[in-house]
Amino acid sequence: MTAAIPTIAAAARQIAARQLSPIELTKACLDRVHALDNRLHAFVHLTEERALAEARAAEAAIMAGGPKTPLHGIPIGLKDIVDTKGIPTTCQSKLLQENIPDADATCAEKLAAAGSVLMGKLTTHEFADGGPSFDLPKPPARNPWNTEHFTAGSSSGTGAAVASGMILCGIGTDTGGSIRGPAAYCGIAGLKPTYGLVSRAGVAPAAFSLDHIGPMAWTAEDCAIMLQALAGHDPRDPASAKRPVPDYRAALGAGIKGAKVGVIHHFHETDHKVGEETQRGISVAVETFRGLGAEIREVQLSPLQDWHACGSLISIVERAAAYEEWSRTRLPDFSERMRTRLMLGAFVSGVDYLQAVRRRRELRDELKKAMAGLEIVLTAVFPNEAPPIDALPKWDVFQQPSFMMPFNVAGYPAMSVCSGFGAGGLPIAFQLVGKPFQEATVLRIADAFEKATPFRDRRPPAPGPTP
Amino acid sequence: MPTPIDDAAFEYLLARAGLTLTDAEKLELKTVCDGIAAMAERVRKQRGRMAEPALTYGFNEEDVQ
Repeated sequence: MTAAIPTIAAAARQIAARQLSPIELTKACLDRVHALDNRLHAFVHLTEERALAEARAAEAAIMAGGPKTPLHGIPIGLKDIVDTKGIPTTCQSKLLQENIPDADATCAEKLAAAGSVLMGKLTTHEFADGGPSFDLPKPPARNPWNTEHFTAGSSSGTGAAVASGMILCGIGTDTGGSIRGPAAYCGIAGLKPTYGLVSRAGVAPAAFSLDHIGPMAWTAEDCAIMLQALAGHDPRDPASAKRPVPDYRAALGAGIKGAKVGVIHHFHETDHKVGEETQRGISVAVETFRGLGAEIREVQLSPLQDWHACGSLISIVERAAAYEEWSRTRLPDFSERMRTRLMLGAFVSGVDYLQAVRRRRELRDELKKAMAGLEIVLTAVFPNEAPPIDALPKWDVFQQPSFMMPFNVAGYPAMSVCSGFGAGGLPIAFQLVGKPFQEATVLRIADAFEKATPFRDRRPPAPGPTP
Repeated sequence: MPTPIDDAAFEYLLARAGLTLTDAEKLELKTVCDGIAAMAERVRKQRGRMAEPALTYGFNEEDVQ
């Protein structure tokens, strides 16, 4: 599986120089889908004919006038909670098996307008629940580094498809870590942007005030390319920010000398102690940044458990509200895991919810103060490399606090960056968090790390049979 | 420490939510109610009556045109 899977940046350069044909690139990705997806289960709906037609159209347009963006002619995938006009959008739910939207989600529309080639819809756990679930209409995605292990969720298909080179990038969504988690376990780059930067319009909700849409790709630079197409105001999304969109690639390669990097040691060393290999990955990141001229500071926040409780209560209630009608009338049609998550909503009172929303303001203000004078803060994504897919506790939400939820609570941009490999040969990662709308800084620092370390040179091996 | 939920309250909350569960589902759900209550306790702080929530309602320029 290691043969010649280009990054978007490299492919775009070759396409612009007429050295790479979008048709040949798309066929190479389709070949990988046909060779691998019976074991990885990343796709729920492959749009092969459409992809080839779009690749032919892209090639003709590029030959006539050059590429309109770096995504022109690039094969992509969309998580199956993103509405796609005329293409089934099932949210991996029995309730939506016949659903064919009559309009594209804004993010799908923007990626199409950038000239990308849609390869199909990628698996998730039902309505973007974290998973894993085994009673969905289609099987869960498998980790391309080891198919017996979890991809994390819920953008599981996107993580598996990007890591294995079936697509060059894809859309993920993140309510409590669903971009960063699969990015970490699958060894790719995943950016949850600032809340409001990328439109949620046309994407099935998980929790309205915590939901983020964002890029998943092999490198930070590729995430920057994708974010460039996705960012911007959308009147269809009431939370959409009205801000100018910067050039996210402009500062890549400019170095990080003098950057102030904070480390939230107590999150991953005390509040939820990570394993030795993840800690080693964080140390590698800190030493790499120091070596590149950054200044390292310690950051102290409220305990991780406070952030987790706040985000979890909000998530439980907002999800229960979004799906209340079906919960009351069609509860048995949900998967077992989604059913249990929806039931939790009955046990959080209105006052509990609003106390969580009041706590949210305090926590967000706390992060704002802690980040004064810093460009970025750093912590873990997961405590260890991916566990076996059938070994996850069902009620993990009550057992260990999430390292990712704090930045859904705060709405700050956060990114998963691969920092090596564990003893089992699966990727490990750390998390970079920037200030609101400072994605360019997050991407610049992640890019500097990737270029200073060898972890982007290694792709997953060819997968064995899925158990 | 939150008080464990009793059977009557448990049934009332499910009925109010309009959820029809099997006995096995109810049994499982009871095991995690304390976890929810602990989270609800954790977000309560001494903050007084004036502390605003994170989400407040405001008007944009286009609302008044």
